[in-house]
Amino acid sequence: MRLAAAFIFLATPLAAQDVDGAVNEHILPGYSALAEETTLLADAACAAEDLKPAFSSAFDAWVRVSHLRFGPSEADDRAFALAFWPDPRGSTPKTLAALISDADPVVEDAAAFGTVSVAGRGFYALEFLLFDPQFAEQSSSPYLCTLTQAITRDIAANAAAIEAGWQNHAALMTAPGNDAYRTEEEAIRQLFTALATGLEFTSQARLGRPMGTFERPRPNRAEARRSDRSLRHVVLSLEATRALAGHIATRDDALDALFEKAISQAEALDDPVFANVATPQGRIRVEALQSSVEEIRRYLGGTVAPRLGIEAGFNALDGD
Amino acid sequence: MKNLMLATTALALVGTAGMAETSRDAVLKTYSDIAHAKYEDSLTTAQTLAAAVDALLAAPSAEALQTAKEAWLAARVPYQQTEVFRFGNAIVDDWEGKVNAWPLDEGLIDYVDASYGGPTDENEAAVLNVVANASFTLGGVEVDASAITPALLEETLQEADGVEANVATGYHAIEFLLWGQDLNGTEAGAGNRPWTDYAMGDDCTNGNCDRRGEYLKAATDLLITDLEFIVAQWADDGAARAELTADADVGVSAILTGMGSLSYGETAGERMRLGVMLNDPEEEHSCFADNTHNDHFYNGVGIQSVYLGSYTRTDGSIVEGPSLSDLVAETDASLDMEMQQKLSAAVLALGRIKTAAESGFTYDMMLARGNAAGEALIMGGVNGLVDQTRSIERVVAALGTEIEIEGSDSLDNPEAVFE
Repeated sequence: MRLAAAFIFLATPLAAQDVDGAVNEHILPGYSALAEETTLLADAACAAEDLKPAFSSAFDAWVRVSHLRFGPSEADDRAFALAFWPDPRGSTPKTLAALISDADPVVEDAAAFGTVSVAGRGFYALEFLLFDPQFAEQSSSPYLCTLTQAITRDIAANAAAIEAGWQNHAALMTAPGNDAYRTEEEAIRQLFTALATGLEFTSQARLGRPMGTFERPRPNRAEARRSDRSLRHVVLSLEATRALAGHIATRDDALDALFEKAISQAEALDDPVFANVATPQGRIRVEALQSSVEEIRRYLGGTVAPRLGIEAGFNALDGD
Repeated sequence: MKNLMLATTALALVGTAGMAETSRDAVLKTYSDIAHAKYEDSLTTAQTLAAAVDALLAAPSAEALQTAKEAWLAARVPYQQTEVFRFGNAIVDDWEGKVNAWPLDEGLIDYVDASYGGPTDENEAAVLNVVANASFTLGGVEVDASAITPALLEETLQEADGVEANVATGYHAIEFLLWGQDLNGTEAGAGNRPWTDYAMGDDCTNGNCDRRGEYLKAATDLLITDLEFIVAQWADDGAARAELTADADVGVSAILTGMGSLSYGETAGERMRLGVMLNDPEEEHSCFADNTHNDHFYNGVGIQSVYLGSYTRTDGSIVEGPSLSDLVAETDASLDMEMQQKLSAAVLALGRIKTAAESGFTYDMMLARGNAAGEALIMGGVNGLVDQTRSIERVVAALGTEIEIEGSDSLDNPEAVFE
């Protein structure tokens, strides 16, 4: 009986991995869209009504690549400068408030602005300026406008640098036998690690932080809640990791169904900033979504990794 | 994220021949012996610290405070070398928050400067000041803190209100009580607590010197009992040793998990890179004592010592035996050379930070915005640790062990989600 089952398993066409597809159809288009959207953002006028739509599109483009944390995104701390979150010590509002109260001239020069704390740069800092009352109320001040534009231009410059870096990195990844990827297995392991880490981040940070504990829910810890984007990020990221998963394990219907389930649950939530985690009813639904994301991770670790003969590498979430 | 991280269950392991099996057991024995020796050294140096604290409280003076500070610094040398045992050994990982939790909202414990701010969205107890308050409300519960005891610290204050920054115990709480806040920003200088914070009667500065002394004593006593616990776990019949050696392949995978997780996510990421990116001296691992350069350096030395199977004890004797390095060399000699070379390069890069810090260019100065030399020094250490992680992953692949994707409460223990 057992032998028969094993035979059937082996006889089924095995899901394969497709590094070229992951690079050419997922990673490169993703970073190219980010570069494009952030250029539009940097070109937008200072007025909030002009900036907000550009902010939204550019932030969407970032979330769609936010799981691809290796290679060019990590050089010069570019990804951190684009997206510093979570921020448990409130470094973003503190850094912004200090720049504003000092009217720090560092905002006048792009290269100098690149030395500012990552907490005062990137999408999450921009969100504070556009949506938090503490800053949004002074939006007519000339300094705030200069600061805002320093941030949007810095975002665009980092996105462009990552895109440029990927032109070379794509070659390393798709033609292994170099010091970055000695074998194809190392390239697959990198992609697999990015996929697993992206899902872990969604489960533990995007969902887990606002959930807190049953006794002590923490809705104020939800990602990008000031711009009502918390749930949106979960959906976008699940869609993006689903696309990557399709290249790492092609034709794996079971895996795709797990993504489908999680995405449907997220779309049905109707709780854009996870405010309902404070109620037992609302919390159960967010928990169910988190369980579904964990189910995907479990499947990746228990089924996909052994099939590919790899294990996830170390990631930035490994510490405490 | 500590609560969400567990790295215990390893996946199926690929076959190994009889010869290699034997040597894996020997490697695990060396590793466990080194763990035991490092924790024992951590305990004896902490006992020296406790004696210095007793002397300070019995007869407060500038000299007595200085002696206690020096004892704390010495105690950190063996302890930081043990951190490589954290990830991969569940018993250690569950325990370590008691002794080395960080970063902390120190206003929970004692007085802080006005620039520190008040309660935050994240932490309502950020300025609770237990030393000054014999009773208070914490997370909606009335607390009687008239006696400051190890039990109060451990059971009521540590991670109070579910906030990890409420660190009431361990090395960094003691560090704060000895040094005080470092108010020098990214300029030279550590915390400068006056010894009179422990003086009796009219000489007492900043109030409540008796309670401050009580807190320091309780925290130091607790550190001793916590270290005694972990030493026992690594004794010949200890639980951590038994768990590690139960399955040789799983044990080897635990060693590598510890090396990789400490290198990459914890030291290179959380402790080093974040501080540089934020230009924030409060992100220093030992921000009160300005001992951060040693924290990182001895993390690196600890990782290397586990791979080479050799530890130099605080009395100068050496604990050594068959090593992971030997095991890798049998399978792939050039990979072993690569691993050794990367570990040496990382220790050297971390040593450059230490050298600069000890000659006056302190770690907080390196963090200043636009300080290119400081950033290059720290990023040199980060890059060394990141680089060695790649080789650790190659060792994992070569030995045919599997590092699990680290689980979470909801993954490994579905009930926990609904608790």
